[in-house]
Amino acid sequence: MQAFDTQNPPFDRLTQKEAADLRAAVDIGYYAPGETILALGQPATHLHIVLKGSVEARDGETVDAVLGAKESFDARAVVHGTSGEDYIAAEETLCYLVPKDTVLDLIKRNTGFAAYFYEELSRKLSDYSRRQETEGVEQVLRARVREARLQPAVWIDAGKTVKDAGETMAAENNNALFVRDGARVGVITGMNLSKAVVLQGKALDARVREVCSFDVIAVDADDFIFEALIKMTRFKKRRLAVTSEGEYIGMLEDIGILGLVAGNSQLIPGRIDRAHTIEQLEEPARDIQNQVERLERQGVKIDVITEITSDLNRGLFAKLFELIAPPSIRKAGCLMVMGSEGRGEQTVRTDQDNGLLLAEAVPEAELAQFRRDFNGALEKFGFPPCPGNVMVSNPQWSQPVDEFVRQVRGWILTPDENSAMNLGIFFDAVTVAGRDDLLVRAKGEVVTMMRGETGYLARFARAIDLFEDASAGMLTTLMASVGAASDAIHLKKSGIFPIVHGVRTMAIEQGLLEPSTAKRIAALGRKGILSEELTRDLTSALTYLMETRLRTQLKAMKTGRSEEEAIVRLSELSTRDRDLLRDTLKVVKRFREIVRNRYHLNMF
Amino acid sequence: MPNFFTRTIDRLVISDPSFRFLFHRQDTDEAISIDCETTGFDPWVDDIVSVAAIPIVGKRILTSEAYRAVIRPNADLRAESIKVHQLRRQDVEHGREMADVLPELLRFIGNRPLVGYWIDFDVRMLNKHVLKMLNVRLPNDQIDVCTLYHERKYGNAPPGTQIDLRYAAIMDDLKLPPLVGHDPFNDALGAAEMFVILREMKARGERIKRIRDADDVVDVMTG
Repeated sequence: MQAFDTQNPPFDRLTQKEAADLRAAVDIGYYAPGETILALGQPATHLHIVLKGSVEARDGETVDAVLGAKESFDARAVVHGTSGEDYIAAEETLCYLVPKDTVLDLIKRNTGFAAYFYEELSRKLSDYSRRQETEGVEQVLRARVREARLQPAVWIDAGKTVKDAGETMAAENNNALFVRDGARVGVITGMNLSKAVVLQGKALDARVREVCSFDVIAVDADDFIFEALIKMTRFKKRRLAVTSEGEYIGMLEDIGILGLVAGNSQLIPGRIDRAHTIEQLEEPARDIQNQVERLERQGVKIDVITEITSDLNRGLFAKLFELIAPPSIRKAGCLMVMGSEGRGEQTVRTDQDNGLLLAEAVPEAELAQFRRDFNGALEKFGFPPCPGNVMVSNPQWSQPVDEFVRQVRGWILTPDENSAMNLGIFFDAVTVAGRDDLLVRAKGEVVTMMRGETGYLARFARAIDLFEDASAGMLTTLMASVGAASDAIHLKKSGIFPIVHGVRTMAIEQGLLEPSTAKRIAALGRKGILSEELTRDLTSALTYLMETRLRTQLKAMKTGRSEEEAIVRLSELSTRDRDLLRDTLKVVKRFREIVRNRYHLNMF
Repeated sequence: MPNFFTRTIDRLVISDPSFRFLFHRQDTDEAISIDCETTGFDPWVDDIVSVAAIPIVGKRILTSEAYRAVIRPNADLRAESIKVHQLRRQDVEHGREMADVLPELLRFIGNRPLVGYWIDFDVRMLNKHVLKMLNVRLPNDQIDVCTLYHERKYGNAPPGTQIDLRYAAIMDDLKLPPLVGHDPFNDALGAAEMFVILREMKARGERIKRIRDADDVVDVMTG
């Protein structure tokens, strides 16, 4: 049947012959509103792909998902035999029916198709187990020891002194060492050392073999985590030696297991703190990025994800500053992050906006070196360079504060096309290291100059219409729904930017120094600048947009299509998400109108 | 549609008794959605160039069991219809003789009711050949989706209501994704989709709203 769309994933991976076989096998089923298409526990004879209408996936009374045209269900049932949920037609629905045997046959023949199919399946499964918390924990217990974060094995000879052991621990940043004593193997921990010296009064030149423990409890790297946990409990140990093919390869600490459950965000600050070189920062820097996806998968709320991530990033920046800034800059400098990083709204790294204010001039050579090193290191950590060149490496953004303030005045008084953006980015700055008083002073200048100056404010506010045509809005979506226009919506241009910029303008007007958009909205609400209703609507619109954006970013990262990082396609949304997006864009439109009126933008 | 008397007589005068199954009483919930593409719209002059038939069993449309055939027409394939169907003379020349196709098609259809958009036209085109072959007309019940649609939407309309029964309008109104037209399989499929939906709406006593959703109108106006 030629009407079946094999351009739609995962069917786009089929060869022409396979697609033809699939089409030849497809039937169509009709389902009345409220009719159960596939019941929980029922074996599936077909894979359903919605042709028209919508289908609710239900777990008892709660609706877990609403599937719209082109979405398919239930992969799990086709592969595993029975359905994990009830699928009920929410409205009048037609579904393509692909016989189970055809699907299984295609999975066998086409690995690309199979991969997508199983990926989809495992996503569904993990969603499913997320809902059933006990199962989620069980999943962790069934992970392998090697998947947890292990401390590397560091060896010390049993003939060395307690003092040597302490020094090795400090140098290696490892609290437990393996002890080699001829054929015997032992373990010595920081706790052993303290007990020996403090409680038993041993001398610092006592031998390691006198204080270490030779009863080593080990697990194999391929053992399950639950086996390790049982051993820890039974032998009252917080650490286990880990072996692989008979060799000791490292230590498993209880906290390493925690990392499997909750991500390892709580471990990153310690690793940043302990770093002595830029190279040692690379791993925690990478982990900051990795935990974003893990947190999202675990269903952590977007505002918590952004808070954790920006805290960690700021810690990373501060440490980097400490490592590479020469004393002159450390003394006189204020390292700031700006833009989304300053507002604490960046999750997936899209760019870096940072700058340096100096209380006084520093030696030119040192400054030049710092500019190079700082942005070089960030790039190595995976922060893409800022396309607008708002970076320490750009002298415009790293200079003595007096010069900088003069520059800011210029942006306000004699603006060019970049001035509004520069001002906006700067107004969102926060200090991550060094002298905060410099930033407070520079920002104070902006507020003093612009408050009450409706002309300046209006010029600044005008940027809200920058991407106006990106959200021609509902008409476009209507046209897209009949195939007359692209159905792509740019979340950042049509949604996030207008909110952020409008709120930022009002924050300058009111002299609010709070950098986060959500908190600015709340403060404007308290002052009565925004109505109670709009405060509520804007907050949820922003949350929804950022959540959706994070999902599109993660998806773009996975598919390697970075140009899609802020794009949602209506055809790929469920009916429920489409409704939410529509409501959200209506709020944005309403807010844009309010900003326009407030600053008389319609007169330009 | 043949009435009781024609049917009774036809049943007796059929020239090939092995096709008498066409007259058997219908007691299943099956139907056949059928569509013919023709060289034009005049049954006296024009002829069938291709045909597709899709079984409907209960609430399933069995596209996997569809019947389709390309036929070499007797009448001249007119330039106009070439444009409409994108079938060139040489394509049609690969077609089969109606004399070979028709027995197959009739066995496929059996005694099941025929569903289609403006089904009367398709049946008249087919009857030219059925008459020649069997000396009778197709006795099958005929269900026109236009009629079903009209009844669901305009059945209680005040006089003067503008009535739109175009194929595309019905597809759109029932929110069915558009199909590439002028292909007998797609047209039969569209009619089959309309049929199951309209039949079930009728069973539920549900009508089709005559004005579009107020929400849609607001959307258009607020841009």
